[in-house]
Amino acid sequence: MPNASKKIAMGTAIALLAAAILVFPSVAPNPYILSSGVLVLNYAVLATSWNFVGGFTGYISLGHGALAGLGGYATALLVVKAGLPSFAALAAAALLVAALAVPLGMAALRVRGASFVIVSIALVLILLLVFQSWASFTGGSRGLVVPRPFDLSRPEHHRVFYYLFAGLLAIAVLAWWLIDRSRFGLRLKSIREDEDKAEALGTPTFAYKLIVFVVSAGFTALAGGLYALWFGDLDPVFQFSILTGSYLVLMALLGGVRNLFGPVAGAILVGTALEYFKVEYGDTPLHLVATGVLLGLVVLFMPDGVLPAIGDLFKRFGRTRSSSIREVTAAELAEQRKAAV
Amino acid sequence: MSLATHELRKAFGGVTALDGATVEFHEGKVNALIGPNGSGKTTYFNCVTGMIKPDSGRVTYQGRDLTGKAPHRIARAGLGRTFQLCRTFPRMTALENVLAAVPRGGLRSAGSRADIEKAMSWLTRLGIEHLAGSEARDMSWGQQKLLELAGVLMAEPETVLLDEPAGGVNPALLDRIGTLIRQLNAEGRTFVIVEHNMDLVMSISDHIVVFDRGRPIAEGPPSVIRSDERVLGAYLGV
Repeated sequence: MPNASKKIAMGTAIALLAAAILVFPSVAPNPYILSSGVLVLNYAVLATSWNFVGGFTGYISLGHGALAGLGGYATALLVVKAGLPSFAALAAAALLVAALAVPLGMAALRVRGASFVIVSIALVLILLLVFQSWASFTGGSRGLVVPRPFDLSRPEHHRVFYYLFAGLLAIAVLAWWLIDRSRFGLRLKSIREDEDKAEALGTPTFAYKLIVFVVSAGFTALAGGLYALWFGDLDPVFQFSILTGSYLVLMALLGGVRNLFGPVAGAILVGTALEYFKVEYGDTPLHLVATGVLLGLVVLFMPDGVLPAIGDLFKRFGRTRSSSIREVTAAELAEQRKAAV
Repeated sequence: MSLATHELRKAFGGVTALDGATVEFHEGKVNALIGPNGSGKTTYFNCVTGMIKPDSGRVTYQGRDLTGKAPHRIARAGLGRTFQLCRTFPRMTALENVLAAVPRGGLRSAGSRADIEKAMSWLTRLGIEHLAGSEARDMSWGQQKLLELAGVLMAEPETVLLDEPAGGVNPALLDRIGTLIRQLNAEGRTFVIVEHNMDLVMSISDHIVVFDRGRPIAEGPPSVIRSDERVLGAYLGV
């Protein structure tokens, strides 16, 4: 039963991944490494959230950084200006951004391909200008300080948020899986394959794209809001950066957009690499060059991502073992001998 | 009342593709739409199925006005279509291609036993059940045409519009497609077929509409169309 063994392999992989993620804070040698772990998990949630749109419908958004930024600022402002408790503010912020995603999606999802990419970039740039200029409300370039939700030491603070991000990641992955196996998901994927054809088969493509965009925006905002509560300081330049969206695209593509854990794997690889490059090359733009090279390599040599590439490798080995040319000729020889007798 | 259009017009820039096409197709029959290249047949299909909006005129189906409605609404009203250059979902398996046409969405599993059985029965009927697990992009042209048809039929349309079902298909498969259309018609489905292969058109059609320069110039059963002078003129450029 190849199906059963596939399920066991999948289950083992998930259990290993979960164990590795859960054990990390205990083995992290210092708070700095632990905080890098929080960042990587934040990327994993963001990349998985991005993949609700990118993976299912094939619409490549570079604007998801802006949705995360909105989630961050909404959470922070609800705490600072409205005096809401931190996590109530987080939930309210996610709902607000999801609601805002309805008109945003209605505007952006009218266009396809490169045009959609450009519209999504425009979203980031517009919000960057707004949040920088509207200093009386957002704090502008001076930044916005977000009060911490817990009174903890720095290492403990990182540890708690590490697990909060891990929990959010589990929910996002579960939601993606639920859609992936559903009729809704299959029809979404048919939009990715051929949107007009899907429409002609009776799929209300626009409504489907909008629903999944709103879900994606909600999860992205949750990640952004949680980041704001963790990091405690927001600056429009970093919150509304095209780089964030580009990193998410790189992570999702690198890991594989058709795979449940593709974006997570990509986030772990790219996130770790980014942190490493930043430590090694400090403030030089070399980490950007490295990111660009990585993206180029992925697109050229692993267009489906790392996970499928590894899967293909296994398949190739498996096939040679099960039906090599030698075995076939041996069987034929036996046949010939039988026929001769 | 079956599928009908009234004074349908569509121009692309200065080119008039449809010039007041008033047509009524016969319900429960195999209808064919023929005409020389550029006579507006595909534009007509696209206007009827909502892929493009006509400049003026009306499309009605079973008494309902479908003019300018979104393609998915028209599909759900019971009109299924294939495309001239056959279109499948290339990176989905044959089975998924057919399942993607299940009329309802929702968060229920896409692989329910009933859905899979029904999808497999269509694949079997079209003779490509052995390819259920293959991705569409790995299939041959003919197999993809059969797959596209299986998907359309899965959506349970009462009327099926086929844009050149015989295009690029070998003679053996052509026979099979012809027989299949007659069988599906006998089960109660209405067909409207755009086709250049006159042998196929003449052998399977009950009713033929001939287009020239964006409007019908003749209609009737094959025996009448075969000897119509206007039709010969349009085709031969006399």
